Amino acid sequence: MLTTQGIIKRFGAVTVLDGIDFELQSGEVHALFGANGAGKSTLSKLIAGHLQPNVGQISLNGHACNFRSPREALEAGVAMVMQETSLAPDLPVFENVFLPLYGSKGRAKFSELRLKTSTILAQLGVADEIDPQDRTGDLSAAHRQLVEIARALALNAKVIIFDEPTTSLSPSETDKLFAVMDRLRAEGRAMIFVSHRLEELFTITDRVTVLRDGGVAAHGVRTADLNQAELIRLMIGRDVESVSRDTLPAAEGGGEPVLAVRNLQAGALVRDVSFTLHKGEILGLGGLVGAGRSETLEAIFALRAIQHGEIRFHDKPFRANHPLEAIRAGFGYLAEDRRAQSILPDLSVRENLLVAALSAQRSLWARYERFRERAAQLAIKLDLPPHRLDDESMFSFSGGMQQKVLLMRWLLLEPEVLLLDEPTKGIDIGARTAIYKLLRAVAAEGVSVLVVSSDFQELIDLCDRVVPISDGCSIGAVPAAMLDEEKLLMLAAPRSSMADQRAWIDRMAVKYDAAVFWVIVDGDSLICLAASPDSAATLGFSSGAVSLIAQTRVPQALVQTGGRGVVGETDGTTTLLLRVRNARGHDLGVIGLTFKSDVSPGQVTQLRDEIAEDIAGQGNENILLTF
Amino acid sequence: MSSTKSTSLLARLSRSIEIRMLGLALVLGLILSLASEYFLTTNNLLNLLDQSVVIGVVAVGMTFVILTGGIDLSVGSVAGFTGIILGLAMREMPIPAALLLAIACGALIGLLAGVLVAVFGLAPFVVTLGMMAICRSLAYVISGQQSISDVPESLGRLVDSSTLGVPMNVVILIACYAVAWVYLTWAKGGRTIYAIGSNIEAARIAGLAATRYRILVYVICSALSTLSVALIAGQLLSIDPLAGNGMELDAIAAVVIGGASLFGGRGSVIGTLMGVFIMVMIRNGMNLLGISPFWQGTAIGSIIIGAVLIERLMARRTTR
Repeated sequence: MLTTQGIIKRFGAVTVLDGIDFELQSGEVHALFGANGAGKSTLSKLIAGHLQPNVGQISLNGHACNFRSPREALEAGVAMVMQETSLAPDLPVFENVFLPLYGSKGRAKFSELRLKTSTILAQLGVADEIDPQDRTGDLSAAHRQLVEIARALALNAKVIIFDEPTTSLSPSETDKLFAVMDRLRAEGRAMIFVSHRLEELFTITDRVTVLRDGGVAAHGVRTADLNQAELIRLMIGRDVESVSRDTLPAAEGGGEPVLAVRNLQAGALVRDVSFTLHKGEILGLGGLVGAGRSETLEAIFALRAIQHGEIRFHDKPFRANHPLEAIRAGFGYLAEDRRAQSILPDLSVRENLLVAALSAQRSLWARYERFRERAAQLAIKLDLPPHRLDDESMFSFSGGMQQKVLLMRWLLLEPEVLLLDEPTKGIDIGARTAIYKLLRAVAAEGVSVLVVSSDFQELIDLCDRVVPISDGCSIGAVPAAMLDEEKLLMLAAPRSSMADQRAWIDRMAVKYDAAVFWVIVDGDSLICLAASPDSAATLGFSSGAVSLIAQTRVPQALVQTGGRGVVGETDGTTTLLLRVRNARGHDLGVIGLTFKSDVSPGQVTQLRDEIAEDIAGQGNENILLTF
Repeated sequence: MSSTKSTSLLARLSRSIEIRMLGLALVLGLILSLASEYFLTTNNLLNLLDQSVVIGVVAVGMTFVILTGGIDLSVGSVAGFTGIILGLAMREMPIPAALLLAIACGALIGLLAGVLVAVFGLAPFVVTLGMMAICRSLAYVISGQQSISDVPESLGRLVDSSTLGVPMNVVILIACYAVAWVYLTWAKGGRTIYAIGSNIEAARIAGLAATRYRILVYVICSALSTLSVALIAGQLLSIDPLAGNGMELDAIAAVVIGGASLFGGRGSVIGTLMGVFIMVMIRNGMNLLGISPFWQGTAIGSIIIGAVLIERLMARRTTR
C-alpha cells in the first residue's frame, strides 16, 4: 500500500537515514523498531510529510507521493498520531478532531462537527467516556491519545502512524488502544507502530522492520517468527564499536557500602529501585529512556519527592530536603541537560565552575580566590588549559570542555558520591576518553560514582557493576564483565507486566515456601528477570543475574524441556517450571518454583493446578501460564 | 574561539556595560555643556545630583529584582503608602522610630510579594501589579485623601544637612550604590542573585537557596522605596498619598538603560546609576534649552529602545 525506496535524509553533515526501503500493506500493523537514534521517528515524519527526504521515493498505492507538508499527507490519507503534542488543550474535543480542516476553505458548522465527532468516538468505542464538548486539556492521557486517533479517522486516513503511543498510558489503557487498533486493522487500514516496548510489539504487530544506524537491519519480518533475543540482536547488530576496556585502569571496587537504596518509589517513573553503591565503585544504572534512571538520581539529590523507600548513607538513614543538604553531606550531581540544568549563561566560566562551592560554603562573601589553585590543578588533570578558566562565557567551549568544567564544579568539593546523568552525552570521543579516565581515577581515590547512560556499551566499559532498570524497577546488579549490550538490553527492556509478575512471585514464595524465579533462557545461559527474596542460596543465582545454566542449581534438563510444566528433582529439591506466555501466545520466559521443604511429586502436580487457578482467579491478563 | 589574553584593554573595557553607559553619559554631558553654558555650573551639577537621589534609590532596589529575572511595578505605590504611614507615625513617635516603622512596613509588603512570587510561583508582573493597586488605594484610605503637611522640620533639617559639603541625600544615594555594588559583586548572596537570574534551574541544582534570595530582592526593593519617600518628605515637608506615582516606570527605565536584561542575570548597579544620570540629564538639559517638557517622554523612550537595541546587536555579535 505504502512503500519507500532508497530514502536518504541528512541533517547538515549527519546522515540520519541512508537508503531505507520499507513496505506497508493494508490491514496490517507494522512495527518500526530500533535503538534511540536509529531513525524511527525521522522515517515516520518523512512518510507523514513533516520532513522531506534528500533522496528517495515514497509511493502510496503505486503513485509517487513525496509529501511537501503534513497537510498534503493528510489529504492523501496519511496521518500521524503524535505523542499528544499536537492538541490544543483549551479547545473542546470536537474542534481538536477537526482542527486540520480549519486550514481548508469553506465554513465549518459546529453542530455538524460535533455530530461527526460523536460518530467517530462511537467507532472507537469510547462514546460513553468522551464528550465532544469536553475541554481537551481535562481528558486523561489515554483519552487525549484517542482524540489524536479520532482526528486521523475524521480525515479518513488509510495509513496511520503511531509514534510511541503507549508512553503515557497505563496497561489497561494500552489494552484499550490495542483493541481499537485491532478494529482498524479489520477495516483494512494500514498502521505503523513505533515503540521500543518489546511486549507491546509482540502483542499488536504483524510484521517488524528493524532500523539500525540509519539503515534497515530487517525488512518486514513476521513478528510471530521472532523472539525477544533475536529482535534485540537485530537492533544492536554485531558491529558495535567499543572503547577498549584495556586502555582504562581497572577500578578497585568492593569497598564498604556507601549508599544503599531500598525499594525507592518517587513519582510515576521510579517504582521500585534498589541498589548498593560501594566505596570506590562505579555503578551504572542501565535502561531505556523513560525507565526512571534520571529520576532516581534526582530523588537521591532532593530534586524529586520520594513517596516510599529508604536511602542509607554510611549505614544511616539519609533523606535530603534540599540539594544543599545533599551537597554538604558529600554528594555531587551532574544533570543530563547541560544547557538547561547546569550552565549559567550570563556568568563567567570561573563562576560556573565555582557555583557549587559558592552554595556549599557558609561565609557572607563569595571567596572565589580560595579555589584558584585547586581549580588549576584539576584543569590540568582534565587536559583543560587552566587559562581558559578565565574565559568570559561557557559558550566559547566545546561540549566536551563544558562537561569537564561541570565535572570540576563537583570535584572541587571533594565529594564522596558523584551522581552523573549521561556524562558523555553529545561529547566527542577524545573528551569522552578523558572523562572515563578521570572517573576511573576519581573512583580509585575512593569516590563512589553512580552513572546513568543510554549508551549501554559505555556502561559496560566504564562501570564495575550495572543495575538494569526496566519500567521503574531495578533488576539486581550485574558485574559488567558478565554483560554485553544484548544481555543488558534483555534485562532492561521495558516490560509492562514486570510489576505484576514481581508481586506474584513474592506472593508465591511465601505461600509455598519456595524460591521463585522468572528467567529467560538464551542458548546455554539464563537471564534472571526477577527472583523472590533470599532465594540466591537455593538457586545459585539472584535477580539480575546472567549465568550459565550449568553453573546454577536449576537443572539444565529441566529448563530446556521446561515447556510442559515439568516437575523434577535434583539434589533433593523439587522444582516446578512453568512456561509464561502473554495473551497472544508469545513467549515471556520461564517461571520456576524450587520448593524448600520436601514435597512429593503428587503434591507438586496438585500445586501446579492450584497455581494455575490462582492466576486465572486474579483475572490477570498479562500473565498466562501454559503447561 | 576567543582568548582573553590577546584582546586589548580597550576592547575588554568596551565589553563591560558600565563603561559603555559611562561613555554615553559623558557624551550626553558634553553635548549639553556645549548647548548650554549653564549646564556645567556647580549649582546645576548639584541640582542634577539632587534630582537623581529619589529615583536613584528606587532604581537600586529595582536592579536587585530585575537581576533575578523579576520586576516590581509596585515601588511607586509602596512609596505612597509607606510615606503616609511615616507621616502619621511621626505625629506619634520620634522620627527615627517612625522611619524604622515605615521601612519595616515597606519590607513587609516586599516580603508578601516575594513569597507570592518565589513560593507560590505567581508571575512577578501580576503580583506587583496587584500590590501597586492595593498600596495606592490604602494610601488614600489611611490618609483620608489628604496630604500630610505637618512633617516635622527636623526631618527636613536631617535631609538637608551636609557632610564635608556633600548634602545628606547625596550621601545616602552614594552609600546605597556602594553597598549594593559590593554586595552584588563580592558577597555570596549577590552572586546567588546573578545565578538565579541567569538560570534558576541550574542554580537550584547547584544547591543555591533560590527561593530565599528571590524573596529577599522584593524586600530590599520595597524597603528602598520607603527610604525614597522619606527623602521626598524631607525635601517637601509634606507627604501626598499620590507620592511616587509613575516612579516604577522611571526606575525600570533607568535599570534597562543601564544595560540590565529583563530576563535576569545581566546588569549592574553602576550601569543603573548611569541610567539614572542619563535620564536626569535629559530632563535637565531640555529644561535648560527651553524645550517643551512634553518632549521628555519622546527623548527618554528613544534612549530606552536605543539602549536595548544596541545591547541586543552587541550580544548577537559576541555570540556568533
